[in-house]
Amino acid sequence: MAIIGQKLVNQIRETGLKATVAQRTDDAFTRFTAGLTWDDVRGILRGDPPAKPNPRVKPHTEGFWFHIRPTFYHEAVTTLYPTFRLGYLSALFFLIETITGMFLMIFYTPSPERAFANMIDILTNVPFGSFMRDLHRLGAEVMVVVVTLHMWRTFITASYKKPRQFTWFTGVVLLIVTMFLSFSGYLLPWDQLAFWAVTIGTSMADAAPLVGREVNLLLRGAPDIGAGGLLRFYLFHVLLFPAIGLVFLGVHYYKVVRWGLSLPPEMEAIGEDTARKVDQTKRVMFMPDILTNEIMYAAVATAILAVASATFYNAPLETHSNPQVTPLHTVAPWYFYWLQGLIKIPHILPLGESLSFINKPVDEVFALVGLTPKMLWGIIVPPIIIVLLFAIPYIDPNPSRRYKDRKVALSLAVIFELLILYLSLGGIATGVPGTGFGYVGGNPVVEVAQEFIPDEGESEVKAIPFDQLIVGKYPLANDPAIDDHKAPKFREIVRAIYADMEHRKHVADPLGKKMPEEAEGDVTVRLLQEDLKEFVITIRYIDENQAPQTFSKNAYIHKNSDYH
Amino acid sequence: MNLFYKIITFKPSFGLRIVSGLVGIVLCLATCGIVGLTDMVAAQLKTNDDAFEGRLIEAGARVYFEQCARCHGLQGKGNDGAAPAISSVAFLGAKTPPTPSQRLKDIGWSGSIESYIEAVTASGIPIKSSQVWEQNHPPFAQRFGGPLRDDQIKNVTKFVANWKQKPYTDGVIEAPKPGAGSGPQPTPIPLGPKENAGLEVFKGAGGCTACHAIRGIATGAVGPTMNKIAATAEKRVTQADYKAAGGKATDVASYLRESIVSPNTYIVPDCPQGACASGVMTQNLQQTLKPEELENLIAYLMTLR
Repeated sequence: MAIIGQKLVNQIRETGLKATVAQRTDDAFTRFTAGLTWDDVRGILRGDPPAKPNPRVKPHTEGFWFHIRPTFYHEAVTTLYPTFRLGYLSALFFLIETITGMFLMIFYTPSPERAFANMIDILTNVPFGSFMRDLHRLGAEVMVVVVTLHMWRTFITASYKKPRQFTWFTGVVLLIVTMFLSFSGYLLPWDQLAFWAVTIGTSMADAAPLVGREVNLLLRGAPDIGAGGLLRFYLFHVLLFPAIGLVFLGVHYYKVVRWGLSLPPEMEAIGEDTARKVDQTKRVMFMPDILTNEIMYAAVATAILAVASATFYNAPLETHSNPQVTPLHTVAPWYFYWLQGLIKIPHILPLGESLSFINKPVDEVFALVGLTPKMLWGIIVPPIIIVLLFAIPYIDPNPSRRYKDRKVALSLAVIFELLILYLSLGGIATGVPGTGFGYVGGNPVVEVAQEFIPDEGESEVKAIPFDQLIVGKYPLANDPAIDDHKAPKFREIVRAIYADMEHRKHVADPLGKKMPEEAEGDVTVRLLQEDLKEFVITIRYIDENQAPQTFSKNAYIHKNSDYH
Repeated sequence: MNLFYKIITFKPSFGLRIVSGLVGIVLCLATCGIVGLTDMVAAQLKTNDDAFEGRLIEAGARVYFEQCARCHGLQGKGNDGAAPAISSVAFLGAKTPPTPSQRLKDIGWSGSIESYIEAVTASGIPIKSSQVWEQNHPPFAQRFGGPLRDDQIKNVTKFVANWKQKPYTDGVIEAPKPGAGSGPQPTPIPLGPKENAGLEVFKGAGGCTACHAIRGIATGAVGPTMNKIAATAEKRVTQADYKAAGGKATDVASYLRESIVSPNTYIVPDCPQGACASGVMTQNLQQTLKPEELENLIAYLMTLR
């Protein structure tokens, strides 16, 4: 102590207090930046040319954070093409998800008794709670898009080829981690959306031969998703997958330092990789050029995400999960539509009646070795796709990265993408609008009610202002007895229900079912409590056995519930 | 093509980086500031809170009408012989003028009415209270052997407590009348073996007690009471509106048979909770009951005069 103190006192005596403080502060700053003075950092942010010898290499060689970033890029990869910054943005979203996720963790308990109440707490009692949840949810969806696009870009520019095979391999791991992170997060709100999407997702494991039941049991912690399953998915979401992601992110980044960013395909001789042998004149130093670019991209991307979350985007929260009630038209998250389409494949293959004989024998042959269609399309095909993705750099025999030499690979990629698109559209439960492709709807009478009072999600009926719901019974008609001035929205919805019913009488659904011709109905509004009303749609019709039937569906609407 | 080339070779200048980077950072901070202000100063959280409170009451309403209305009535006014009123001033108290709950005073419950509703709904009432109702309040929480999850118990509590804004004073049933079960007492007729077997079908295989009341025997409050069904049937087969609806019965026995095997033929106007509705009664009793069970049941019902 005495010696350090003495040195400080001596320095102050020799150079004065002001100079000593300046020198010591700069010293501390330089240690923090692993070799850059304050003036160096200012120069970097302003884009000034470096001093000689260049101090800006030091953070790369001596600091931790920049040692996994290259010191320089080839100037050809600093434009938008060929990287489109997709890898960088993927890592940025991983960071945003981590930060917002830690915020949400503070207010969340992974227990069926508490989880849903915690979600409501986050939305109603935590300042920034709704904003953070929107950021986290939207960020997750964007991250799936960005990571997938990053993979596509890498395939199209053939950057997976020698020597970057293993970089690609770690990238596929990161893609799977991203998907699993997103999917495991799906369960945590413990609403109907969460519960049924994950029940369907994990039930696919059930179809696996021999180990299906055990795998399912391990995932869910019990035959059905409950306390055990929620805790497991929570731990997957906040520990296992982030940990795997972090490890592979490190490797992935290191490989980029090791091999450099691959140049645009047309710039290299076939079979050669010159990303690390960059001529001095073509070098663009990481600091300042790349660093400032990245700070800008981070700021702009985060701002877009923040503004979207604060304005139009609202993360969905349905009603409390209920294992006894499966909501009509339950679907997987959109990025797994293709998987849902795959399971529906016997129904969505474009084989007309004349060709349907192909389908049946295929199923029969598989049945001989104990395979059901669900097993084949749900359990065997997806892992094959994943293995193929991993194997691409090792099985691609073409040494050239040039587009014109890769007609086969690029065509296969386009076909694969079209297939995924086709399956994804086929996976939409209510069918592709206008075509009905993939439609699985039921009785048209039920579908009319579902259209206006869906089991879950946004409902046009619930969005009617409370005051406009005038108590009474209104036969469904084009001109219902509702005052257009007092209750325009209510009137509009009753007319729309009538129009929908009439439409289904004349136009069959994609499965050929029509609403019975003589069907008629009414809407009843009752006052249950001072601030609670009930809205009932009743439809009477004659079924195919000539028996009179009545179907009704109701919604309870509270004055404050604010669904619009 | 030129534009395409410009886009893919785009590289922002240092000036653009500084400007757009700063704009981004300022936008982020401004968004956070606005979100913070609307959440805390403009009471967005309060609005959200009210909205979710409303949605939970809606969820509670669904539970109430599925599980509770059968005994406590559609308006919570209670059913004679089945359950007391829970939407009355005596039970809930009232906000204006401030009235305490008489029920809580009577039983010496020191907590709030909400906690009382939640506790009784969850665990039921474990002992016969002094007011002798036909049955004790059963437990509804899954942890006490009932059908409901805890969140459903909490929601239905919110729904019932929501009557406090305008609790009822008229037409409420606070205590059971002697010989519980709605309507007039049937004239006792000694039952033979066939009629006795029919009574067992009524209470057992037929599942009739869930919806129909017979004073002293059953307290179902969904369908019409059976107290004097034989006398009612005798009159009904001669009524014009019965014939107009397509009723083919000409005597008591055939009327009862028709009502059981084809319940939608004629819908009677008076059920305990308002007008009776088509399609509510079990439709397949002809398949689920053995022929002799059906005969015995009809024989029993014919004694109710």
